[in-house]
Amino acid sequence: MGDLFSNLGLGFGVVFNLVQWTPAFLGGASIPIPVNILLCLIGALVGTLVGVLPGIGTIATVAMLLPITFGLPPVGALIMLAGIYYGAQYGGSTTSILVNIPGEAGSVVTALDGFQMAKQGRAGPALAIAAIGSFFAGCVSTVLIAVLGAPLTKLALAFGPAEYFSLMVLGLIFAVVLAKGSVLKAIAMIVLGLLLSMVGSDIETGASRMAFNIPELADGLGFATVAMGLFGFAEIIRNLDVGGESDRELVQQKVTGLMPTKKDMIDSTPAILRGTVLGSILGILPGGGAVIASFAAYTLEKKMSKTPQKFGRGAIQGVAAPESANNAAAQTSFIPLLTLGIPPNAVMALMVGAMTIHGIVPGPQVMQKQPELVWGMIASMWVGNLMLLIINLPLVGIWVRLLRVPYRLMFPSIVIFCSIGIYSVNNAPVDVVLAGAFGLVGYWLIKHDFEPAPLLLGMVLGPLMEENLRRALLISRGDWSVFLTRPLSAVLMAIAAALLVLAVLPTLRKKRDEVFVESEN
Amino acid sequence: MNDTPGHTPVESIMPKWVRGPQDFIGGLALMAIALFALWASSDLQGMRGFSFGAGTAPRMFGFLLLGLGAAVTAVGVLTEGAHLAKYHWRGPLFVSLAILSFAVTIRPMGMIFASMTSFLISACGTAETRWIETLIVGACLTAFCALLFPYALGLPLQLLPIFMIR
Repeated sequence: MGDLFSNLGLGFGVVFNLVQWTPAFLGGASIPIPVNILLCLIGALVGTLVGVLPGIGTIATVAMLLPITFGLPPVGALIMLAGIYYGAQYGGSTTSILVNIPGEAGSVVTALDGFQMAKQGRAGPALAIAAIGSFFAGCVSTVLIAVLGAPLTKLALAFGPAEYFSLMVLGLIFAVVLAKGSVLKAIAMIVLGLLLSMVGSDIETGASRMAFNIPELADGLGFATVAMGLFGFAEIIRNLDVGGESDRELVQQKVTGLMPTKKDMIDSTPAILRGTVLGSILGILPGGGAVIASFAAYTLEKKMSKTPQKFGRGAIQGVAAPESANNAAAQTSFIPLLTLGIPPNAVMALMVGAMTIHGIVPGPQVMQKQPELVWGMIASMWVGNLMLLIINLPLVGIWVRLLRVPYRLMFPSIVIFCSIGIYSVNNAPVDVVLAGAFGLVGYWLIKHDFEPAPLLLGMVLGPLMEENLRRALLISRGDWSVFLTRPLSAVLMAIAAALLVLAVLPTLRKKRDEVFVESEN
Repeated sequence: MNDTPGHTPVESIMPKWVRGPQDFIGGLALMAIALFALWASSDLQGMRGFSFGAGTAPRMFGFLLLGLGAAVTAVGVLTEGAHLAKYHWRGPLFVSLAILSFAVTIRPMGMIFASMTSFLISACGTAETRWIETLIVGACLTAFCALLFPYALGLPLQLLPIFMIR
């Protein structure tokens, strides 16, 4: 307990550090200024403003804003980055909800129900509950890190390649369960995603795989490129269909209430709590943990819910749970990041880059050598969350008003923002063309009732999965039973199998019902 | 769903034994992708002892997708399913053209030209477009982007065409 308070105290001491500002015009009198808090506030504001542009995802936002922090001292820079990160993440959730363009892997799930809510005129509550859920998750996981940081690191260390592989299988199964339609098609989409993730250079041998000597493909397909194509462009094309017109009218006509109602709050409270717990636990696992968290939380809610058919059609729990889990996982993923130096997702990888620029090398030593930095950063994550709530609850009305822009003007603007956003990531025109191609692919997928969300998760987890599968089999000398003989891995596999059975059962039952109905007729 | 008039012409192309054309075509396409991937990764090294070669995982996923595609196709043959949805050409064509034009013009012509043309081309994607309004909004948006990305965010985007800079 003593550790807990001294650690958090150290962290908040750094964040609330007051700098005495003695301007000449006051004649020697000095004003205390909470510089770090201000930096965090500015970061969160700028991050939100850029991140909310449709097509500029979380990764692109953080990458664009990174240079702003270069001139600051390390602690200040990291605190501002935390603000930018949260702002960008929330901006990404906003675009997921309003225009169905997820900025990063974690908010893919938010788009499923969030966008449906927006279509029903409930964008306001969706945005508000996302902010509230994130804030709550941030509060809990900050304390959790302080309490459990050290012991949990040991758990992460107990994970070998076999366990990681099983964890990813479990994560992919989560994606199957959350899909709306046929289980078979969802699995097919995951495998397609895995196959797409193979494009590029092989990590171990460096051999170029399926890249056809196109230099831009040598690094593989970028997540941002594929996500913006499959979700952004495909959504636009689909909306332009004559059939989509009635849907669009709905978005623009009725906007009922900006803040969540009492019923919304009651509905989403358990979802937020469960999402927070699940996210905190999964975030600790290095690798895919944080990505899997939001998928897992959504699946859990869908399975726990008495009305699972509402999911995918605008259930507020479907926004609250993944957003809380995402945030909790982002917070606790600092444990593997700082102790093992493994970034859980692309955005965190950028943060590592920023830390390195400021002379902080994440790794086992950083917690002992620079405690004020580590705890300062964790505390600033919480402050960033708070800033987000303060900035965004009043802004919800403005974001929702964006939906009133007629679609004939909205969609060309989204095309432009997406194009510029994708181009700016690598300064590569080929990326823009690829995103366009994936837009057409996404349109085709929608027409054939294939879901793009599992594909995207497969693509994100593919490389990690391959790496761990390789390692696990190398260590076991080619023995595939290793995934079942190691206890932790066996447990994960068993959960995955159970989930799959759960996912298949209702469809089997439904098929049987249909047969009965037919025979009765 | 099944008796929407728009679906009848597409339906007639399909032989009678295909009961779920949507899944049937979807599955066939997945199999085609899988075969293409298998062909594309055929030059990569396979297993060496029990260590994976560069081609092992792609081939594994390729065969897996081939099997799953076949299963989806089989579902399309065996069970009653949705018919092919109607495709529209206008939206996909103009949005793709707009994206393509952006990609082609951004380097030589600069951002102002690229975003304005691509805005106008994508606006052709719907019959609802009112041109005067579109022109004004397009110009404002281009100006906004021209200020935001290179100046406010400091991205190395070139605004003007190359020949005007030299």
